[in-house]
Amino acid sequence: MLNDYLTSDTIRFADNVDGWRDAINQVSAPLLASGSITPAYVDAMTASIAAGGVYIDLGYGIALAHSRPENGVQQTGLSSLRVSPAVLLNDDPAHPIDLFFCLAATDQQSHLKTMMELAKLLSDAELRTRLLAATTPAETSTVIEENGTPE
Amino acid sequence: MVHMNIDKVLKELGVAGIDVDHADLGSVARGDADAVFVGRDIAEAAEHLGDLVVLNSIIDLNELRTKVRETLDSKGVSVPEAGVGA
Repeated sequence: MLNDYLTSDTIRFADNVDGWRDAINQVSAPLLASGSITPAYVDAMTASIAAGGVYIDLGYGIALAHSRPENGVQQTGLSSLRVSPAVLLNDDPAHPIDLFFCLAATDQQSHLKTMMELAKLLSDAELRTRLLAATTPAETSTVIEENGTPE
Repeated sequence: MVHMNIDKVLKELGVAGIDVDHADLGSVARGDADAVFVGRDIAEAAEHLGDLVVLNSIIDLNELRTKVRETLDSKGVSVPEAGVGA
């Protein structure tokens, strides 16, 4: 479940991030370090956003950065980065982002299961509010724990 | 995510027999679906697909509940009066 991927190592917080590119680099960092993704994956996500791919903005200041498995995923992984203050996705004032997730999926199957759990978590108004308010990995983990596993 | 959330809303409403699928813009053509739900950012690019439902947020279940219900009404699909668990 999500807690297998979102751990004290992959749940991160950063103040005064230098724009969306820096946010993408920082949210990718733990996945790069663990070998879950290659630098090509970071480049692919960045290029997609720069080309206007602001659809990764899910609403409520949350963005889910991702690319295709063949763009450099070695192992399924997920990380998060809470930025303060918000940064503008692709420098677009319509897309201020407070919380970035980075999803790396090796195949459609693992992608689906993780997406289902994330969808459940982020679509729950109360859990979403608490997730955005969390200031430590432990607080974030508690919220994810309460989300449980979809039936 | 929209796919999963629409499934969830349909289940809540107690409506069965609706096929939900998801696709990227390049793989779907006009007539493939009775209604196409898209995020606001690709609304313009998806205009040619026909019956478009534009979402402000793809994780706002309340918005989705309202819009799925409106879409069902406009398509003449009956919704049980008290949705299961809604």
